[in-house]
Amino acid sequence: MRNKITCIALLLFFQAFNMMAQQGEVSGTVTVASDGMTLPGVNVVVKGTNQGTVTDMNGNYAINVAADATLVFSSLGFEDQEQAVNGRSEINVAMVEDLEGLDEVVVTALGISRDKKSLGYATQEVDGEDINLTNEQNVLGSLAGRVAGVQVTGSSGASMGGTQKIKIRGVNSISGGDQPLIVVDGTPISNANFSGSDGADYGNLGQDVNPNDIASVNVLKGPAASALYGIRGQYGVIMITTKKGKKGVKDVQVQLNSSFTLEHAADFLPKQNLYGGGSSQSFSTLPNGDPYVAVSVDESWGPRMDGTPVRQVFSFYPQDPTYGQLTPFVPHPDNIENYYETGYNLNNGITVSGGNENTTYRLSLNDTRIEGVEPNSYLDRNNLSLSASLDLVENLTVTTNINYARNDARRPGQGSEVGAAYLNQWFQRNLDMKRLKDYKYDDGTFLHWNLRNPSSTTGEITNFDPLYWNNPYFNAYENTSEDRRDRLFGDVSLKYQITPELEISGAIRSDMYTQNIESRQAFGGTDTPEYSVGKYQNKEWNYELLAQYNKDFDEFSLNATLGGNIFSRKYSYLYMETVGGLSSPGFYNIEASIDRPETTSYLLEKQIRSAFAMVSLGYQDTYFLDASIRNDNSSALPEDNNSYYYPSVSGSMIFSELTDWEPLSFGKIRASYAQAGSDLSPYRTTPAFGVGTVYGSTNTLFVPNNLNNPDIEPSFSHSYEAGLDMRFFKNRLGLDFTYYMQKNKNQIINLDVSGASGYSSSTINAGLIQNQGFEITLTGQPIKTEDFLWDAVFNINSNKSEVVELAPGIDVYTYGSSTYSSVTTYLNSYEGEPFGSLVGQAYQRDEATGEILLGSDNMPLYTDATHNFGSVLPDFTGGFQNTFRYKNFSLAAMIDFQGGGQFFSRSKQLGVRTGQDPITVQINDRGQNVRDPLEDGGGVKVTGISAETGEPVEAYVNARSYYRNVVGRRIYEEWLYDASYIKLREVKLGYNFGKNLIDRLPFDAVNVALIARNPAMIWQKAPDGIDPSSISTGSQSISWYESGQLPTVRSYGINLNITF
Amino acid sequence: MKKAYILFLISGFLLGSCSDFDEDINKNPNLPNQASGTQLIANAQLSLPGLASSPKGSSMAQYLAETQYVGLTLYPQESTSFYGYYQGPLENLQTVLDAEDLNAADGPIDNQLAVAKILKAYYYWNLTDRWGDIPYSEALQGADNFTPAYDTQESIYNDLFAELKEANSMMVSGSITNDIVYGGDMDKWKKLANTIRLFMALRLSEVDPAMAKTEFSAALSAGVFTSNDDNLVFEHLADANNQNYWYSQVVERNREWWALSENLVEEMKPVNDPRLAVYGDPARETGEYTGLKFGEEDNIGTEEFALLGSKIFAQDAPVYLVTYAQVLFAKAEAAHRGWIEEDAETNYNMAVEASIEQWTGSSDGAGDFLANPKIAFDAGNALEQISNQRWVHLYMFGYEAWSEWRRTGYPNDLVEPNGNEIPTRLSYPDNEAFNNEANYEAAVGRQFNGDDSIYGKVWWDE
Repeated sequence: MRNKITCIALLLFFQAFNMMAQQGEVSGTVTVASDGMTLPGVNVVVKGTNQGTVTDMNGNYAINVAADATLVFSSLGFEDQEQAVNGRSEINVAMVEDLEGLDEVVVTALGISRDKKSLGYATQEVDGEDINLTNEQNVLGSLAGRVAGVQVTGSSGASMGGTQKIKIRGVNSISGGDQPLIVVDGTPISNANFSGSDGADYGNLGQDVNPNDIASVNVLKGPAASALYGIRGQYGVIMITTKKGKKGVKDVQVQLNSSFTLEHAADFLPKQNLYGGGSSQSFSTLPNGDPYVAVSVDESWGPRMDGTPVRQVFSFYPQDPTYGQLTPFVPHPDNIENYYETGYNLNNGITVSGGNENTTYRLSLNDTRIEGVEPNSYLDRNNLSLSASLDLVENLTVTTNINYARNDARRPGQGSEVGAAYLNQWFQRNLDMKRLKDYKYDDGTFLHWNLRNPSSTTGEITNFDPLYWNNPYFNAYENTSEDRRDRLFGDVSLKYQITPELEISGAIRSDMYTQNIESRQAFGGTDTPEYSVGKYQNKEWNYELLAQYNKDFDEFSLNATLGGNIFSRKYSYLYMETVGGLSSPGFYNIEASIDRPETTSYLLEKQIRSAFAMVSLGYQDTYFLDASIRNDNSSALPEDNNSYYYPSVSGSMIFSELTDWEPLSFGKIRASYAQAGSDLSPYRTTPAFGVGTVYGSTNTLFVPNNLNNPDIEPSFSHSYEAGLDMRFFKNRLGLDFTYYMQKNKNQIINLDVSGASGYSSSTINAGLIQNQGFEITLTGQPIKTEDFLWDAVFNINSNKSEVVELAPGIDVYTYGSSTYSSVTTYLNSYEGEPFGSLVGQAYQRDEATGEILLGSDNMPLYTDATHNFGSVLPDFTGGFQNTFRYKNFSLAAMIDFQGGGQFFSRSKQLGVRTGQDPITVQINDRGQNVRDPLEDGGGVKVTGISAETGEPVEAYVNARSYYRNVVGRRIYEEWLYDASYIKLREVKLGYNFGKNLIDRLPFDAVNVALIARNPAMIWQKAPDGIDPSSISTGSQSISWYESGQLPTVRSYGINLNITF
Repeated sequence: MKKAYILFLISGFLLGSCSDFDEDINKNPNLPNQASGTQLIANAQLSLPGLASSPKGSSMAQYLAETQYVGLTLYPQESTSFYGYYQGPLENLQTVLDAEDLNAADGPIDNQLAVAKILKAYYYWNLTDRWGDIPYSEALQGADNFTPAYDTQESIYNDLFAELKEANSMMVSGSITNDIVYGGDMDKWKKLANTIRLFMALRLSEVDPAMAKTEFSAALSAGVFTSNDDNLVFEHLADANNQNYWYSQVVERNREWWALSENLVEEMKPVNDPRLAVYGDPARETGEYTGLKFGEEDNIGTEEFALLGSKIFAQDAPVYLVTYAQVLFAKAEAAHRGWIEEDAETNYNMAVEASIEQWTGSSDGAGDFLANPKIAFDAGNALEQISNQRWVHLYMFGYEAWSEWRRTGYPNDLVEPNGNEIPTRLSYPDNEAFNNEANYEAAVGRQFNGDDSIYGKVWWDE
């Protein structure tokens, strides 16, 4: 804290250096040189200060300046102009259009603005308008396909802001946990995720940024770009810059934005409609001889749905109108689809922005209301943000950004055993979802479909407790999970221009949130009634001090930065869960716990103290050289070994300056080398014991399964990057090519070790994971006429990873495993192979022929769960964005794609296992349904080689045994799918009302647009009904199996934007 | 202006150079960094019921048949993990044995160590009987050895005998605290150590009869269980945090998945075994005890068959692990084999009586039961009779009964579901092939010709 005070005191001290000089007013008009039209919105700044103004609607400005000052006039798309005042009181300027647009300024690490052309590393910027094309709920998902080298794995829209996972340049940590740092206006914000791998997906917290506020997103892809973030920047940085007000007396702008979309669930897994619930093809009968549906069976291996009158589950409820009645046993082909509703998304936003000579402000308010496609699910979100700047005195500016976000949601559960997602896995094809919808009878009895079978003596069911599954509506309305989050983040900073060359600034930045998660299990369902509540609070502070020195000497330019930062985090939570049931129905409180409730109180504190310096040298505006170094001290590292240095160096040459070749508008080559690092969570360097179950009055303690390590060091990445930027034909065509190689060494991982060592894992420094690849961005304006403009951006990235080494003696790292019905699958990394191999049970095959080996019962034999199916990671990812403008119309469409990558699909697997999938009713080559008895020509045809005799076998086997017990349960080779896809992600068709119309209305601009989010999967290699672009499962950092994925959600609607 | 530069540099230095944080900042405030020996032992005891309460164990001994989702009872070739035992109770116990700061306030340190040794030996004995060779001498060394080699079962047995003897001899007077199973009573621990030795010795009856006899007699004279009060029993509590596994399955998760097997019912019902009313509940449809054929896939259900008994799945049901009746069965067998100078029949009769007392709470009916001609001791058929009654007695500790089946071959009428023979061991954890590859392959190679099959035979299984 002492240092924080020092920092503030220092800044206050600088106020005293407020330099004064003789002042006088200068005014004038700014016009466009080519046509003489006046030019509004031109920045007029006193050189070497940040004192300035902006031209008004008529191109006029007025400013008080010293008689010997120099004014700099700048406006996007025009070349900057400098005018020495020399005692003049009127200065008129004609701006010259900048055809080459080379002086693009980008925001780099720590918010330092740099000429893009001078950078020796790759960054890629996305315009806020593109990010916010169709109001995507989780704004990070909008990066999909827009930045070369950035892979986004999303989740279903049914979660309403569910997890969007971002990987930059492949997987760079052996544990897969690499996540880029998200920085908003210089403030690093938390991107934590409270979801597990199933249940409600609360989404990653980076989404609390209001998409409407985003001016641009700049992705710092490699360590060279993010080197100044040191220990926090190893996995890249996503820099979000929000919109700001502008200086200028009359420039007050009010903007309204409203959108409304309808949300539909789509793309369901196909199902068979021939056989209904049960485990045998004949009905059991009641004592009176009536056949009944096997209500205890949650599979569809039952009798043919041929309309036979039977007692269905509803008829066993005395409260039901069909009680005791026989009703036709028929399929309900859309029973799963019928469960989902049409949701909506209503988004309203208002912004007020403006400024005067020494202030700017922008205030924005946004309200989002979503009713999800899953019954009884919603998300309400409010964003309020204020950004303002005030010139306290000349050369001293205070700026602030304050963002508040509130989320309030009830989200559906995902996963094969959860919510309604189980319907694809365990269900009966004959069930009528419309009947299940009224899930509660008037007397309070819940209607369930999965009960114990009726008594063979009375023919009645008396116990209406559900057996394995709840009515999905019971899950939706009674077993709810609610989450709320209040969040505040932003900064206050002071900037002091000491001399025209030297600027010093200090900032206090904070990100704090309180997350509440509450869930209920009601009386009357499968589970013991339960209530849990968790309150999670996180506070992060950054105290920052920065000095920047910029000076041009004849042919040289110098840009130097020196700074320090203190990062401090305090995270705590309280979690409580009832145990053994609740004392009374409807009373959801920890107090209601029958047995001693499970409670956890947790506190985490961490600090990182840093100092950094950077020097950038330019020569003749053609050659640039950057070097930086950062020192980080992390409290999470061992006390006597917690200080590390991270250097970087980069250079570039603008070779277009050296040639006169006409078609080449711009050309640059660049190269860089950097080291970055990453530390670990606190408390992992000293041993501790776990608190065990209390038995009666005996307290127990245990040795935790993970072994902490007192000798841990930070991990280091070494990255090399080279690139080429070229633009041709007056910038109509652009190419940006980058080759990179990143070696991530000494990773801090919890290495799975043989449990026989006494521990399941050990925190160690180990391994070398190497990624190399290339990124290509092509930009073009294939057509550009007065009325018609076609803008296109194409990105592609291909990355190859290799786990070069793990730990001595260890050549496999288990990232994760998943066990279902005692069969386990793994995501492993093997030394010498790409990151993340899927591992599981495969067919046993004859070595010579590759044919499947069959057992004595002609069923396929399977291997141990050790078969390596290869990497989950894609070969390439990318996107293609096209924008067409014709007069006042505009059409924008975003496509993203992925080639390669693979995953297991448990939804498909279990759909087959439970006889719901169409494959289980296919016609075999004898012309019979595979479910028909073998003696009647039914059965699944298997061909292979007998393991016993070595002879080829061609035989027919019982379909249920084959799919249910063998293939659908044990052979994961069958459930492995290629994740390649091409997806139309967003479409927007807009119309700008012309000036003629607007002049008669009190508006400055009106835009109406039709929008579509996620309108179509153009192509995918995986079977219908599984969306390979959204297999994200909560906080699991690598998506490698799909399990009870929520349905794809398609949204169509309208957007209205009005500017006053 | 110069002042400003200097001040800036100084402040930058202040901000950046500090690598000294508050001393406690990286100490975990959420977990204790000290544990007493008996707290660790108590936690290791919490894993005891897991040794027995397992559908797979019950399947191995064919006590329970599946009423739905028939799977385990078809004996799939699948791996079973032993990691939980090493990471859980064994590591706790090893930590006690390695500790340099045990506190005598929790009872004499030698007694804490002795109890840790006994429990550790008991867990290891269970493990080696199930899997065969397992990591032992190089296990539980944490960062010193992440890839422990597998010791042969023979060497493990030898060492366990030695460890148990040492535990027996190191005890001093004075009880220990936090003891869930014996309330700190060291006499009981002593008897337990010797009883485990007794059973281990018996296990060697086929592979090394001479050693079996020697160790058996030694254990017996060291003092074994003398009544059901000495039993190693884990008493569950009527509390969700400490409840019976079967309660969570049958009651909480609605899994009426287990019926008494036809074999079990046919062994008990014709002779009016008083324990049957505890072992199972009669079929709801008929009120009769009808067993479900083990491994049956088609004619299954919950109404027609006797399901798992409500006393067995009660929330606070006890789990019997090492029992007096077993001691008596062992002595009966040893007498029959001529290892000891005792009467086989007497011990057999006492064993049955003790078992009935253990399961039903009284020995009422034992006399009638033993009078049944099929049950009454028959010296000409002693081994089968003892073994079959021991099998009935070991109900719900399927793994132990399965070990005895592997050793003696009794009961000899167990079924081969779907043509699948009863496995003779558990297959090693899948992930040993990743985490401990060389040692895993060496162990599989030397014992089972490279095939980690459930049909490999462990050392003592001749």
